[in-house]
This record gives sequence, C-alpha cells and structure tokens, in this order.
Amino acid sequence: MTMLEMDPVFTAALREVLVATVDDTPRVRRRWRWRLGAGMFVGSTLIAGGAALATGLFSPPGAPIDTPIGNVVTVTHTGPATIDLGPPPARATDLSLTLTCLTVGTFDFPNGSSMSCDAADLSHPPPDDQEASEVVQLTPGKDSVTIDTSANASWTLQAMYVNQVTTPWGTNARGQTYGVQNQKGTPDLIAVVVDQGKTQGYVKAAELNCAAGGNVETPAQALAWDKASENRNISIPVYESDGTTVIGTFIIGHATGPNARTVPFSSLSLDCSATGNGPAVNGP
Amino acid sequence: MRSSRGESGTWDASLTGDVDAFVDIFDLHHNRVYRHALRLTANVHDAEDVTAAAFLELWRRRRSVRVVDGSVLPWLIVTATNLSRNLVRGLHRYRALIATLPRAEVADSAADIAVERIEEERIGEEVRQALGALSSADAALLALTMFEHYSPAQAAAALGISDGAARTRLHRARSRMATALGRSLVGDCETTTKEEPR
Repeated sequence: MTMLEMDPVFTAALREVLVATVDDTPRVRRRWRWRLGAGMFVGSTLIAGGAALATGLFSPPGAPIDTPIGNVVTVTHTGPATIDLGPPPARATDLSLTLTCLTVGTFDFPNGSSMSCDAADLSHPPPDDQEASEVVQLTPGKDSVTIDTSANASWTLQAMYVNQVTTPWGTNARGQTYGVQNQKGTPDLIAVVVDQGKTQGYVKAAELNCAAGGNVETPAQALAWDKASENRNISIPVYESDGTTVIGTFIIGHATGPNARTVPFSSLSLDCSATGNGPAVNGP
Repeated sequence: MRSSRGESGTWDASLTGDVDAFVDIFDLHHNRVYRHALRLTANVHDAEDVTAAAFLELWRRRRSVRVVDGSVLPWLIVTATNLSRNLVRGLHRYRALIATLPRAEVADSAADIAVERIEEERIGEEVRQALGALSSADAALLALTMFEHYSPAQAAAALGISDGAARTRLHRARSRMATALGRSLVGDCETTTKEEPR
C-alpha cells in the first residue's frame, strides 16, 4: 500500500518558503523586554526598566535602581545547568544575571527570556553580540538559578544579588503619572523611544491599549480587528511628560507589504474606555 | 537527513537557526501531518493549507514546542488538529503567504472527491463532526491516540498535561463521541475509522 503524499509541486514551494522564513528571522537580543507582547511594534520601542538602562541616557521615573549586594558568582558551563548561589542576603530583592555565549546556541533565562548566538555574532568583537542581561525577582526559598540550552552549547554566567528600589512615577501639571511600567502597574503616560532612539517621550496608555486592539471584547470583534489589522498600522502621538506637547509618533502593528498603510489614531472612531491604570499587562 | 544524530539532535540544530536542519524536520514529517490534516478537513486544498501553517507555526513558536520522546511530530499533530478546526482564525496569519504557493489545478469539488478515494484516510463525516464538537485539547488527545497510535502518556506529554488528566479526558471524550455517534467506540482506530461507504 503506497502511502498518500502531499502534492509535490506544493511541497517543493512550501519547502522554499520555510527556507526563506528561517533565513529571514533576525536573531533577537533580549535586552529590552516588551511588556505588551512581542511583534506588536514596528519601528518603535517601549522602554522597560532594569539593566538595559545602564547607559544612563534616559532614565524615566518608575525604573528600578539595582544596588549590588555581595559577591559576583561567575561560572562557565556546557549544556543546561543549575547554579547554586547560596542564600540571598537580607536586603536582596532580585538577581542580576549576565549571560555570555561561548558557542552558537539559544540560552533561556529563568524568567522566560532567551538569547541566541550564531556564528556571525561570535565573530564580532565581544561583548556586544554575545551578551544579554536580565534582572529576575527572587523566588522565596530558591537559592539557585537554571540556564537552559542544548547539550553542547557553552556559556558563562555572572550572577549577583541586588537590592532593587523602584523609583516613583512622575506626575505632571495635569495630574497624569508618567514613567515606565513596573510591578505597581502602568502609568498614564508610558515612556517610549522612537526615531531609532533619537526621540524619547511618552505615549498615552489608554491610546496605546486601544490602538493595539485592547478594547476588543468578543471573538467576533477579535476576528474583525485581526482582519482590519492585516493591512493597517496605527500611529499614536508621542508627548513630552506634560502629556500635551507632541514630539513624535509611535507606530503599532505588524502589517507590511504593498497594501499596508499607517493611519493616525485620531482618524479612527475606536471605542476606548480603558483608563490606563491597573496591573502590568503581562503580570508580575 | 542527519540520521547520525536523530531527530532530537536535528531539532536542537533548528533552534539555533540551522536552515538545513529545519528543512530535514519538514522532510521527515510533512506527509504524516498532511494525511492527518486530510482526515480532519476532507479537502485537499484545506489540508495543504493546514500543513503549511503547521510548519510555519513550528518555526514561529519553536522555543515553546514540546518535544515528545525526541520528536516534534506530536506537537505538529496537535497544531494541525487545532488549525483544521479553526480554518479561518488559525490560518489568517499566513493567508497571504500560503496564497502564493502553487497548486495542482484541482477544483474544490474534485479535491473532495480525491479524498473520498483515499480509503485509509477517511474517517467519515459523522466522526469528523463529532470531533468538532469536542474541546481543542480533547480533539487533539483523540487524534493522537485514535489516529496516530500514540500512547496516552505520549499524548499527555504533547499537550503538557499529566498522564492521569489525559486518561480521564480521553475516557470522557470517547463517551461523548459515542453518544454523538449513537454507538460504542472500541478503543482503537481500526474499528472506528472504517466507515460504510455512503
């Protein structure tokens, strides 16, 4: 009995598409965690607090300040491993981790972020393309950290307990809070960078949520939203911390191709009743 | 085919972006995924769409793919089951891309007839409809055990649930199917998939 096979013409074409898809995939460096879901933003970036802001160029309110406590533990391993760090000092709140890849591979941090290194990354002068940092909250009773990867991938980890203090959000003359999203939730104005990092400002949380389809309530609405989003990106204004002075635009959506267009948020009549306050969208 | 390191070595290599390795995985499994999609959609074009989307999802969600006994096939079967049930919503992400792929020139009705001729893949309209009435997870569990001959333990691993939970759900899902079909289901696929010709 010959087993049924998929049409060879279709199969060959699909194979080529898969090759192109894998080849096209950029290797993502997880320096900035996107709180509202990856893949949503084209050409613009939300700022997350933490180790990524070590440059000190723009430190919005609400970002954490991490003070190191105790010694740095440095280990090198091949394959997945659990590193025992010993009990955290009394004032420790978080763990600062810096991972460096020594071979090609994908390396998973304990909080679900990951770093990938390919041969091109390894050929560049260290450490930029081989290093990623995360600050993860401590789990009570857990004195170890696990890095997951494939059996023959090698890495170095520097781990250090830190005391993390979250700076408070700012409040502008109109009583709106501004800063980065953190464990306390989402401020009225969320810090963003646009124009390849040249412009730093704030978007209204309510507008961001609404323009990203966050007010959709039923499966039918979700379907309609997805359909509309196939060829449509939405731009919302970027403001100074006063929430009034417009200094740029932030684009939401992943539509590309010849039929894709960007429309200003103000030109759509969307029902947006969210206030923007509340718990962080992705949980603690 | 990198047979020296087995499928799980090939999958690991895929995760680092090794194109040849990912294509090896496609070569290894696409026909079985296609046959499964054909069971559930009963239409050649739809089955091709589902197969394409399943492998595109395999790449997009590669970091969270559950490997069962060194293989990604169970994950592909679960994904293909979900895509077959939600043809509109599941495929919309890839619709434009899949639309560019060339097909043999077969009208829709002829695509249905082609499936009818494939005795060993037919599961009958009633069974297909009864499957459609189950939850996604239950349909996937039944598909893995009834059609693809995985053990309940392997099916549990594919879905990330416990053995016990899988067995309970399988038992309930079979009862529901039996009620919907008006007869008893013996626990393997040979008896249930040979339908009388309509």
